[in-house]
Amino acid sequence: MLKQTIDILTSYDKPKKVCIMGNVAVARAAIECRVDAVFSYPGTPSTEVSEVFNHVSEFQGKPAHKEKYPALTSYPVYFEYSVNEKIALEKAIACSIGGKSAMCVMKNVGMNVASDALMTITYQTIGAPLVLVVCDDPGCHSSSNEQDSRYWGPMASIPVFNPSSPLDACRMTKDAFVLSGKIKLPVMVRMTTRVSHTRGMTVYHSIPPPMSSHAFRFLPEHINIPARTGLAHKKLLSRLDDPLCRSMLKKYCVQSSKGKNEKMAVISSGVASVYFREISAQNNLSGKLRYMEAGMIHPIPENEIRKFLQNGCKKVLVLEELEPFIENAVRIVAQKYSLPCKIYGKNFSSLTVTGEYSLDIVRDSVEEFSGIRMLKNKKLPVLPDDLKNSVSPRPPVLCAGCPHRATFYLLKLLVPREQKEMILCGDIGCFGLGALPPLKMIDTIHHMGMSISMAQGLYEAMKSEGKEQKTVALVGDGTFFHSGISSLMNAVYTRANMLVVIFDNRTIGMTGHQDHPGAAHPPKYNELDIVSVVKGLGVKSVETINPFNLRESYQILKKAMLADGVSVVVAKAPCIFLTGLNLKKFARRKIVIDPERCNSCANHCDMSLSCSLPHTQRGNLVRAKMKIAAHTQIPAQEQLCPANICNHGFLNAIQTGDFKSAVEIVRDKMLFSKTCGDICHRPCELFATNHVSGIVPIRSLKKFVSSKNGNYRDFAHPIQRARSAKPNGKKIAIIGAGPAGLSAAYDLVQAGFQVIVYDKENKPGGMVTYAIPSFRMDKEAFIHEAGQLEKMGVTFHFKKVLGKEITLEELSGANDAVLLAIGLNRSKKLEIVDKNVPDNQKWDVLTFLKDFHLNRLSLHPGSAVLVIGGGNSAIDAARTVKKLSPMNIVLVSCIETSDAMPAFPEETGHALQEGILILHDSYVQKCTTGTDGKISIDLLSYGTKKMLSRFECDYVITAIGQESACAEFSPLDGQYLDENNRIIKQENGYTGYKNIFVAGDLCSGNHMSVIGAIAGGKMAATGIRKFLGNYSYDYEGKDGLERLNRSMPARQAETIIINGNLAEITDQYNLYQSCMKCNHCIENFGCPAMLRVNGKVQVDMDKCTLCGFCIDVCPNDAVRWEMEGM
Amino acid sequence: MPHNNTTKILIAGVGGQGIVYLSDILVEASLLAGIPTGVSEIHGLSQRGGTVTSSITFGKNSYGFIEEGGADFLIGLEPLEAIRCNNLLHGESVAVIDVKRIIPYAVNTGSVPYPDTGRFIEYLKENIRKVIRIKDDLPGIEPVMRNIIVLGVTASQKKFPVDSRFIDKIVGKISPEHLKYFRDAVNNPLTYSYFGKSKN
Repeated sequence: MLKQTIDILTSYDKPKKVCIMGNVAVARAAIECRVDAVFSYPGTPSTEVSEVFNHVSEFQGKPAHKEKYPALTSYPVYFEYSVNEKIALEKAIACSIGGKSAMCVMKNVGMNVASDALMTITYQTIGAPLVLVVCDDPGCHSSSNEQDSRYWGPMASIPVFNPSSPLDACRMTKDAFVLSGKIKLPVMVRMTTRVSHTRGMTVYHSIPPPMSSHAFRFLPEHINIPARTGLAHKKLLSRLDDPLCRSMLKKYCVQSSKGKNEKMAVISSGVASVYFREISAQNNLSGKLRYMEAGMIHPIPENEIRKFLQNGCKKVLVLEELEPFIENAVRIVAQKYSLPCKIYGKNFSSLTVTGEYSLDIVRDSVEEFSGIRMLKNKKLPVLPDDLKNSVSPRPPVLCAGCPHRATFYLLKLLVPREQKEMILCGDIGCFGLGALPPLKMIDTIHHMGMSISMAQGLYEAMKSEGKEQKTVALVGDGTFFHSGISSLMNAVYTRANMLVVIFDNRTIGMTGHQDHPGAAHPPKYNELDIVSVVKGLGVKSVETINPFNLRESYQILKKAMLADGVSVVVAKAPCIFLTGLNLKKFARRKIVIDPERCNSCANHCDMSLSCSLPHTQRGNLVRAKMKIAAHTQIPAQEQLCPANICNHGFLNAIQTGDFKSAVEIVRDKMLFSKTCGDICHRPCELFATNHVSGIVPIRSLKKFVSSKNGNYRDFAHPIQRARSAKPNGKKIAIIGAGPAGLSAAYDLVQAGFQVIVYDKENKPGGMVTYAIPSFRMDKEAFIHEAGQLEKMGVTFHFKKVLGKEITLEELSGANDAVLLAIGLNRSKKLEIVDKNVPDNQKWDVLTFLKDFHLNRLSLHPGSAVLVIGGGNSAIDAARTVKKLSPMNIVLVSCIETSDAMPAFPEETGHALQEGILILHDSYVQKCTTGTDGKISIDLLSYGTKKMLSRFECDYVITAIGQESACAEFSPLDGQYLDENNRIIKQENGYTGYKNIFVAGDLCSGNHMSVIGAIAGGKMAATGIRKFLGNYSYDYEGKDGLERLNRSMPARQAETIIINGNLAEITDQYNLYQSCMKCNHCIENFGCPAMLRVNGKVQVDMDKCTLCGFCIDVCPNDAVRWEMEGM
Repeated sequence: MPHNNTTKILIAGVGGQGIVYLSDILVEASLLAGIPTGVSEIHGLSQRGGTVTSSITFGKNSYGFIEEGGADFLIGLEPLEAIRCNNLLHGESVAVIDVKRIIPYAVNTGSVPYPDTGRFIEYLKENIRKVIRIKDDLPGIEPVMRNIIVLGVTASQKKFPVDSRFIDKIVGKISPEHLKYFRDAVNNPLTYSYFGKSKN
C-alpha cells in the first residue's frame, strides 16, 4: 500500500503508463486536480476510491514522512470516513462553500441517504469544485439493489459523467473538477462495478501546484428561503447551459469518423462501450456502421445525438447497462427532430434492464441488429451431466474465527426457530451472512439501518393482531452509527418491546475494515463508547457480552430477551482480521478432533442394534445447548442403565420435545417403558453418586413420556423390527414368562431366533402380575406391554409347569438353547412365626399379594397386622392391608435401620403417610397365639437386643425373601447351586450344563428387581447368541448390571412428579456422551475450517484461527486443544 | 481463433488463494514487457471464502474481459472452480489445474458430491490442447507457495503471453523464495505437475 500511496502522490512530468483500477484512476485524477478534502462512507464497489485517500491521509500525517517525502506531504488532503453518506456530502458541500475543493464518494444506495443534501445545494451555490463519485452495481454483486444513479442527473439537475474504463475515469474526473468549479454545481462521476474494479491502461501526469483558494463568502445564496427558490431553479437550469458544459458534451460524446454516413448506428455508454470496441476490432466493424460513445450523459447530449443520427441513419442500437437512459434520450431527440430512425435498446436480443452486459451479450445483439456475421470461438462440448450438476455454488460464509458466528450461535440456542414466533430483523454488513445456511438466524434484511425500525414496526403490527411478541433487531456496529442510532431513539421514545443485538466487531468489516465512531483510531478520530451512547438514548437495559464466553453470554442474552421494553446487548469481539490471523504462528497449540468421539456412539459396540434417536439438526443443537445452558453436567456413564437403555438419547429426545422417540429409545432395549416408569429400581439415578447438584430423574421422565398421549401402547416399531428380522433357523425355549424371560425373548426374536415361552400361569408377566399391588403400578399397561411379544412372533405355551408338563432335559434336547427364568417363587419361612401362628392368621408375602390380586382376602376391618421384612414387598403388603381398610392397624418390623432399608424411600414415605408404623432395627423374639386368637409379639432391638415393644395383633405377614425350588424339578443341583439354591451362572448367564442358560431372580447374585430381571434376561440372550453363532459382542449393559448387583444405593434420589413445565426440569441437565447421530458443527455453525471426511469432522489447520469456539460447543466433547510437541 | 494478437488468461479459485496476487504479478510483468493489459476481477465477498476469478487480457483492443470460449489459458487454483469456468475454454486452450480441493459448504453437509476431478481432467484431455495437473503432494513445499508454482508451470508453456524473464523481475522484488519456486517451476514444470497428452 505504501508503494501505491507514494506513486499516487507523485507528480510525473513525463507521463507514466500504468495499469490501474478504475477506482484508483478516479482518486489519482482528484489528486491531479489538487483536491483538498475527501469525504466518504465505504461501500462496494466504491471503496477503493476512499481507501486511496485513507492511506494518503495516514501517510501525510506521519511526521517521519514529512521529512522523508516533503513533496508528497506539503499539500495534505483531508480525508474522513463520515458517519453516513448524508453527513459526508453535507461536509463536502460545506468544504466547497468554505473554498476548498472536495470529493464525496459513495456507492449507489449511499446516494439515496445523501440525496437530501444534493437536491437543495443545486439551487444555491458551492464555492470550490465539488465532485460526487457514485458507483452503481449492475448484477448486484454486493448491493441491495440495482438502481441506476444516472437519474440523479436530471433529478438534481447536475452534470453526470459516465466513464467506460479506467482511462475514461481519469480523464472525466479531472474534467468534472474543472466543470464544477466553473458552473458552481456539484458534478457527478457515475461508475459501475465493472469500471470501478477493472484494471486498465492509463497515464499519470504531473500534479500542478494548488490553486489559490478563497474563504467563505457571505452570499445571499447560502440562505435558502422559499422566496428565492423559484428564481434559483431558473438559474440552476441556465448553469447547465454553460458553454463549458456544452463543450464537454461535445468532447465526451464523439462520433467515430469512419462509417458516419452508414445507415446503421450504434450508441454505447459505460462499460458497454469497451465491449463494443473489442467486438468491433475483432470483426472489423469500423466503417460498417456509425458509432458514438456517450461519455457525458447529463445534460442530455441532444445536439450530438441529433447530428449523429441525421443524414440517412435508418436504425440505431443503444448499448447501456441498467435503465434505458440514453435510449430514452435518443427517442426524445428522434421524435423532436422527426428523424426517420428506428431505435433498438432494452428488450432487443439479449439486452435487458437487469444484470451486467458482457462481450457475449454485446456481440450477439450487434450481430442480430446488423446482420453482420461475428466471429465466435467454438465452445467445448457440454460437460457431462454428473460433472455439471456437482458444481455446487460457493456461497460466502462467515470467516473462520468470526465472533459473529458465536453471537448467532447464542441466538440459535435461545430463539427456537421451528415455531417461527420470534422475528429476527437483520441488517446490512458481513453479519448478514447469518441469514444463509447453516446459521439461518435472520428473517429480514432491507436497506442499511432498517433492522431497528423493522423490529419496532413488526412489534406494533403483531400487537394489533393480538400477539404481543418481542422482536429482535440485529445490527452491526458500523450500521448502528450510520443510521441505526436514530431508529433506536425512536424505539425508546415510542415504548417499543424489542431486543437489539449490536454485533460489534470493532470495524466496518464488509468493505475492508474502515473506522467508524464506535471503533476509531486516535488521534485522528475520537472513539464513542456504544454502551454510553445507548444508555444516553434512554435504554435502561444495556449489557455487553463477549460472545466467545458462551455460558455467561447465554445467560445475559436470555435475561435480555425476557426483559420488558427496549433492551440492548452489545456483542463485542473484534473481527478476526483485526486480531491478526497470524496468531497461529505464536500459539504453541492447535485444535484436534478425536475421531473416537466425533460422530461416534458411546452406548453401543454392536451398531446393528436399533437406535431410535432420530438424527435432527434440532436434536443436536439441543444437546449442544445443554452443554452451555444446563447447570448440571453429568457424563452419561454415571447414569447407567443395566438394560443399556441410552439414557443420553432418551433425555435428548425429551429435550427436543420428541416424547415418542424417547419411548422408542427405551423400546430399543426392552418391552417395559411404562412399567419401568412405575416400578423400576432406577439404578441410573440411585447409583449416580458423583453429582451433588442433582441427577436426571430418568424414571419420572420415563413414566411421563410413556403415559403422554398413550405412547406406551404403540409397539409398531418393535413389531416391525421383529417381523423383518432374518430368521436364523435357531430355536430357543424360555421357561418363565416374567420380566427376565420376556426380555430375553424380546431381544432374541428381533435377532431372528424362533422363540417359545413356557409358563405355569395362563398369561405372561410372572411375579410382577400379582406380587406388586395395583396402587403402585399401572397393571393394565404392564399386561399390554408383556402381551406384545406374541405380535412380534414369540410363541407362548401357558399352564406348563416345569417338572410336570415339561422337563428341562426334554426342552434341552428339542431346542438349540434353553433359558431358565422361573424366578424364586417360594417365600422363605420364619420359623418362630411358622411354628406359633395358625395358618389362617399368617401369610407369606407372595401368597398375600397374590390373594389380594385375585381378590381372595377378607380381613376384619380394624385388624392389627404385623409385617415382618424391610423390602418393597413388605411395604407393599403393609400398604395393601391399609388399602383393605383404613381402620386396619399395620406395623412393619425390619432388622435394618431406616437408611439401610431396601424398600424405596418414597414407598416407605407413602407407608408412613398412610399411618403405617415402621419399627426399624427390630426383630421378633417371641410370638405366641392366645386362645382368643390374638397373637402376642415381643420385639427386640436387633442391634442392642433390648426389649422394644410387646403388643398383640391379629395377623402376621412374613416378607423376608424368597428361595428357589429348583432342586425339586431340575437336573441342576449340588455344584450348580449356591447356598440359597440359586443357580450359579458362568459368563452371560450360561449354567455350564448342556445348552441351558439362567436369568432373573433364579440366577445367583442377580439383583432381585424388575430391572435386574430384565438386564439378566438380556444378558442371557446375548449369551445364547454367542453360544449359538458368530455373535462377537459382550452384553453391553454389563457394567450397569454389575454395579446394580454389587452396590447398595449410596444416596436417596427424589422422585419428581412431572405435571408442570417439563422444560423447567429437563433444561437443568446435560447427560452427555458422544453420539453417532451428530454432525452438529457442520449443520449448525458452519466454520469454514471444519470439514467432514468419511463421516468424521476434521480441522483444516490452514484455515483455523484457533478461536476455540468448536471446543466449547461440541456436544460430543470430541474437540480439544493439543499443545505443540505433545 | 479470432484473437490473432490477443491472449486471454483466466485465473479461478477461492478467496485467499492469491488470485489477485498472481494477476498483479502478470500485470506488472506485462507493463515491463510493454504489452497493453487489462484485468477484470470478480470477488464479491472473497474474504469470506467465495469464488474469485480474475481475467487478464494481453494485447491491443482487449480490456480485461473474456467471452465464452475465449480463454487461452486457464489457471485453476481449485478444481471445482476450474470446472465452473469450463465454458470459457476453447479447443486450443491450455489448462493448468491444482487439484487440491477446497470443499464448499453444500459438499460438507453431504447434500451434493464434490465433482469427480479425474473425470473433468479426462474431459479436458479430450477437448483442449493441453491439460497440466499440479501434483497433489509437493513434499517440503508450504501450501502458500502452490500458487506461484502454478504460475511458473503455466509460464513455461508455449504461447504464454509474457516472457518469464519479465515475471522473474517482478517476483524477485516480492520475495527471493517465491522467485526460487517460480523459476524452478518454469524450468522444471514436470517436478511439480503431470502433463496430460494433448489431443493432437
